[in-house]
Amino acid sequence: MLLLQLLINGLQVGALYALIAVGFSLVFGSTRVFHFAHGSAFTIAAYVFYYVFSVAQVHWTIAILGATAAAVLFGVMLDRFVYAPIQVHEGSFFTLFVASFGTAIVVQNLIGVIFGRSFVSVTTPLSRSIEISPGLFVSPLSGIAIVVAVLFFGGLQFFLMRTHVGMGLRALSENPELVRAYGLSPRRLSTMVFALGSLLVVPAAILSAASSGLSPAIGHHVMLISLAATIVGGVGSLRGAACAGLLLGMAENLALVYFEPQWSEAVTFIVLFLFILFRPSGFFGRAIAH
Amino acid sequence: MSIFKRMFATALVTAAMSAAIVHAEDLTIGALFPMSGLNASYGDIFSSGANLARDHINADNLIGGKLSIQYEDSQALPQQGVIGMNKLVNVQKVPYVLSAFTGVSKAISTIATRTKTVAVNGGGVGPDLAELGPYFWNVIPLANFEVRAIIPYLVKERNLKRFVLVYVDDPLGQSVRKEMEATLPSAGGQLVEALSVPATSQQFGGIAARVRAANPDVVYVASYGSQELQIVKQFRDAGIKQQLVSYSAFSIPELNALPEALGAMYTTQLVDWSSNDPVTKRFVDDYKAKFNKMPTAYIANYYNAVRTFALLANQLQKKGKPVTGENLLAQRIETRTFDLVGGKVTIAENGTVVVPMQIVEIDGKGGKTVSSAAPK
Repeated sequence: MLLLQLLINGLQVGALYALIAVGFSLVFGSTRVFHFAHGSAFTIAAYVFYYVFSVAQVHWTIAILGATAAAVLFGVMLDRFVYAPIQVHEGSFFTLFVASFGTAIVVQNLIGVIFGRSFVSVTTPLSRSIEISPGLFVSPLSGIAIVVAVLFFGGLQFFLMRTHVGMGLRALSENPELVRAYGLSPRRLSTMVFALGSLLVVPAAILSAASSGLSPAIGHHVMLISLAATIVGGVGSLRGAACAGLLLGMAENLALVYFEPQWSEAVTFIVLFLFILFRPSGFFGRAIAH
Repeated sequence: MSIFKRMFATALVTAAMSAAIVHAEDLTIGALFPMSGLNASYGDIFSSGANLARDHINADNLIGGKLSIQYEDSQALPQQGVIGMNKLVNVQKVPYVLSAFTGVSKAISTIATRTKTVAVNGGGVGPDLAELGPYFWNVIPLANFEVRAIIPYLVKERNLKRFVLVYVDDPLGQSVRKEMEATLPSAGGQLVEALSVPATSQQFGGIAARVRAANPDVVYVASYGSQELQIVKQFRDAGIKQQLVSYSAFSIPELNALPEALGAMYTTQLVDWSSNDPVTKRFVDDYKAKFNKMPTAYIANYYNAVRTFALLANQLQKKGKPVTGENLLAQRIETRTFDLVGGKVTIAENGTVVVPMQIVEIDGKGGKTVSSAAPK
């Protein structure tokens, strides 16, 4: 029963990790910007949802819209006003990383100033587990997390594979010059990538606000997972990032069957280490060595 | 000597004299609190007590000049704590530093001893903190007293015998485990499972499954900050209905307001907030006026830590001695008992305080005392 319980928990956590990782992988794969502030988009969306739904007590649909708008706006503004000027002048990988890292610290502190630095959570009956069979507890949020992850990933795949803009986004990671030759603007596509990447993090942010609670520093954990899943999944592979997120969530929980809980986080890095050693291109990714 | 040389010499002497005057009157102490990261809310809580004491001391002109507190962000991490401590000791040259969290306190204690700087802890409760040398003082009863206070109550009065301990894997958590292993068998209880979690862990659904599998009567949580709130919320959401118990880290307002924490119990030092002793009354009245809520033991501890400094500095100034860490230590040993919030408090030779404990149940209204116990 413990194994089954941990498997279900792993699916829920893995679904959230997959949603988080896909957004980061999309941004990194398309633009090669190490978007450390991806965790900030998560934090902003979660706090806006918390504020609108729990503090202002507005209907949850409005709260979701508010969270989505805030996250997308953040991603777009960051690309336009922070990354774009740097890319015009220099655009080195490290400079962009430092800018992104600095933004994450500023956002963390701003969130602390605006919403307070203490723990907050969204109270909802959906997070309460129900005993579906003796000793097996499942919360409605687990099911919602899995369904939302599947829907978002399916939608993203459709968008990237079947739409003109989606194909442009995929081409952006391969050859920006060629994109320009075809009359598309790499800059506009880049902004769209950041909007989309930030949008993808919204469901995970909302579900986390309800299931595990929030603190202004939560973005660091999000980044850790995103980075690990992107490497394990293969840089540039969205399918890989989603599968890696799921794998990491499952591994973190299933490790509890055999190991002390203090090792559950280390499992993430053991998986990461093994992939770097034996399969550096990740699940489905391309080899990144040039 | 030319006129310019004389003017220069006069200016130098004047500058030196005025610097000496400023040095004698205005005093700065340091504080190493988490101001960012997962435990930042503790920094707000601790500094509210320290700042209120500073304001009272300055209003009373207790040290003959202005007292100020230089804050450094420890993030509740030992490494950051050491960086902050070095800055306070080597750059700011403070003689007295407020410390918090067991890991941070242990990390900075060697610097305190080496530089003869007094470090005072009002928030960390690891029992090891009693053994960090003469320059490390505690104005909070340590966790071993807290564990010893609640176990007999749970086993004998509540008939709860099977304990699961979920503890953060750091010196605090390890010391709570050690204390429970020593105390539970003699009290008639049993530690059926001890689960350690990393300090950065945020997902506890899986650990809840392990806890449920152990079928305990009591789940003792030895963590702090956002993590303990996450543990409580996620455990309750995961269907754990057993009695949740913890130590004084549960006495923070966020936990008292968390719906999932209702019914949880914790130990904390016993402070009679309605006492008419002038120090306590002024502290409670002014805190309530400023923050529109009742203070907690943590806030009183850091108020007391700053007030202890001012009382010692005042005594040293009367004797014409400089306010250095060495002199503060000598004066503390000489004075021993201080008028602080909660009444007269005696600091023992090893730099710790022993005060009565109370067991509080979270009721969503600030907590109700269900039992009190003399120190053991």
